[in-house]
Amino acid sequence: MSIRSLVESEYAAQTEAFASSEIFKSLRSGNVPAKVYDEFIARLCRTHLNSPQILAFLYSLAPPRVAESLKHNMLEELGLDEAGIAHSELLLRLARAAGFDQRACAELKTQSQAELHRLCTDPILFGTFREFGLTVLLEVTCFEWTLARLGKAIGDLLAEHRGLSWEDLLWFTHHAEVDQRHAEEGLDAVVEYANYYEFDETDFRLITEIVFRENVLLKRYFAKSEVSRPTLMLSL
Amino acid sequence: MRIDRATIFCLRIPFVEAFRHSTSVRSFSDSIVVRVTAEDGAVGYGEGVARRYVTGETVESTVSHVANQLWPAVARADFSAISLSHDPLSALSSISAALPDHGPGDGPDRVIAWHGARAVIELALIDCLLRSEGLSLGQLLPAKRPSVTYSGVITAGSIQDAVKHARYFKLFGLKYLKIKIGTANPVQRVAAIRNAVGPEISLRVDANGAYDTVTAARVLSALREFGVGAAEQPIGRCHPNELAQLRVSSPIPIMADESLVTLADARALIHARACDHFNLRISKCGGIFRTLQMARLAASAGLRVQLGSHVGETAILAAAGRHVAAHLDQVEFVEGSYGTLLLAEDVSRESVVFGHGGVASLLRGPGLGIKVREEVLRNYAQNIISLQIARPALAERRKGKCLC
Repeated sequence: MSIRSLVESEYAAQTEAFASSEIFKSLRSGNVPAKVYDEFIARLCRTHLNSPQILAFLYSLAPPRVAESLKHNMLEELGLDEAGIAHSELLLRLARAAGFDQRACAELKTQSQAELHRLCTDPILFGTFREFGLTVLLEVTCFEWTLARLGKAIGDLLAEHRGLSWEDLLWFTHHAEVDQRHAEEGLDAVVEYANYYEFDETDFRLITEIVFRENVLLKRYFAKSEVSRPTLMLSL
Repeated sequence: MRIDRATIFCLRIPFVEAFRHSTSVRSFSDSIVVRVTAEDGAVGYGEGVARRYVTGETVESTVSHVANQLWPAVARADFSAISLSHDPLSALSSISAALPDHGPGDGPDRVIAWHGARAVIELALIDCLLRSEGLSLGQLLPAKRPSVTYSGVITAGSIQDAVKHARYFKLFGLKYLKIKIGTANPVQRVAAIRNAVGPEISLRVDANGAYDTVTAARVLSALREFGVGAAEQPIGRCHPNELAQLRVSSPIPIMADESLVTLADARALIHARACDHFNLRISKCGGIFRTLQMARLAASAGLRVQLGSHVGETAILAAAGRHVAAHLDQVEFVEGSYGTLLLAEDVSRESVVFGHGGVASLLRGPGLGIKVREEVLRNYAQNIISLQIARPALAERRKGKCLC
């Protein structure tokens, strides 16, 4: 199996598990109270408010052939591209529309910053940025791949069951569009990264398994821990 | 200083993977955490692990022992006279002495020692009293080394899974690996892992008492060629002379684990020359003070020490282990601090997981050196039990008369 198809199959498995999870299905059904949607919106904001910093980190490690697309992705997040829409602003607009006041929005930013702080202070298991960078790149591009496929559906469910307007949900519609491109570029970036940094297949597979041993989407968006593949745990 | 109240949290934190050895499969942490609150408002957290196949304790019996035997003694005690800063070891001894010892239970579920129960309370008291004085456990137990290096432990799943885990650990730069072995192809398992990680990494095995003496001797002889550094508990808990007999014939140094629960066990193992290593675990040994006592016995008998851990320990026992491992004069192997490598979520604000090479820095904050997230305890608690002193008794106690 090529690196590209291995990675894409992991993304597909993550997305499928997320879409078929009970929590996501309950959001789609509308049979949960508004606070469950709001908790999801809060976690979504906390996850993605740091995207420019994370992309800046990836840009600093990027192989020359994909550096330009990662830089463009980062500038897009910052609103410094031709569209001029800062994605953090779209996230905060979503939060405000869901009723988060100024203090609550400030708290989201603080929590997001704390997550970045944790990322920088936690010990790193890998010996170099080469491996650590791959784990970050795999997770970031998995989110892009998923949002390209589910972004619109998530926006629709929030419109229907949480009463948010099209303008409030721009972050989703925007991602559903640009992430189609980002998802493809993301896969290119992973393949190029693996080649540029000369990963052998065994190590690449091991790192991929480490990143995706849990469902990263459920973990970040719902704080749910769910192993992503059949393990000894699930066979009990 | 008196302790006003305590809360027991019976946790059930899922693992991200199951952990298997010859006598048990475990897919979640069932640690018991106790929070104590002193009259000055200082708070401390302790953790204990109940393992029927080690100390004979279960989660239920441990909680009952904490609530009905240890808590009344803690509630009665006055810790004001304990000076942590002036005479640390005497202070630890006094805290340990405040906890009553109860002998082994009777019947088929005989408890060897209530050590998980003692550990959870002892750690909570140490953490609380240290925080009250603004001290770190590292000041009580000064570090003899600048960092602690941990081993990886490879679970007893299929050989294929075991090899995969060995490769993970190699990628993480770990220099020491322990392999869980049982009756299914132990030699092939060790051979496959040695082949995967190469000759540089130190390997040792742990059978958790899976063999009889004859089988153990045969397996250990066959493992000789793979450069195995130690064999932990090849046979079950038994008379020390049986382990001593095995040791005479074994080409691999023997480590006592399930055979070593109490101080009396430690003395008997030394007397019988039954082992080369002690595996000390803070919860199994009944807390920090008794662990240090056993380490001292080991050193005086020329035995080497592993500071081990129970599967599923949270950051609380990991933090205590970090301090003890850094403090011991001699420690050959250290285990634990797996944190979110194993747990879906850990209880501390800061990560206790080791970094590349298994190396972890020392903890310098007050108490055990971590900040426990109460919301995580509540989120994963199956049962929360509040222990308080009856109000009239508390009033009398505050007048100087104890009725607890």
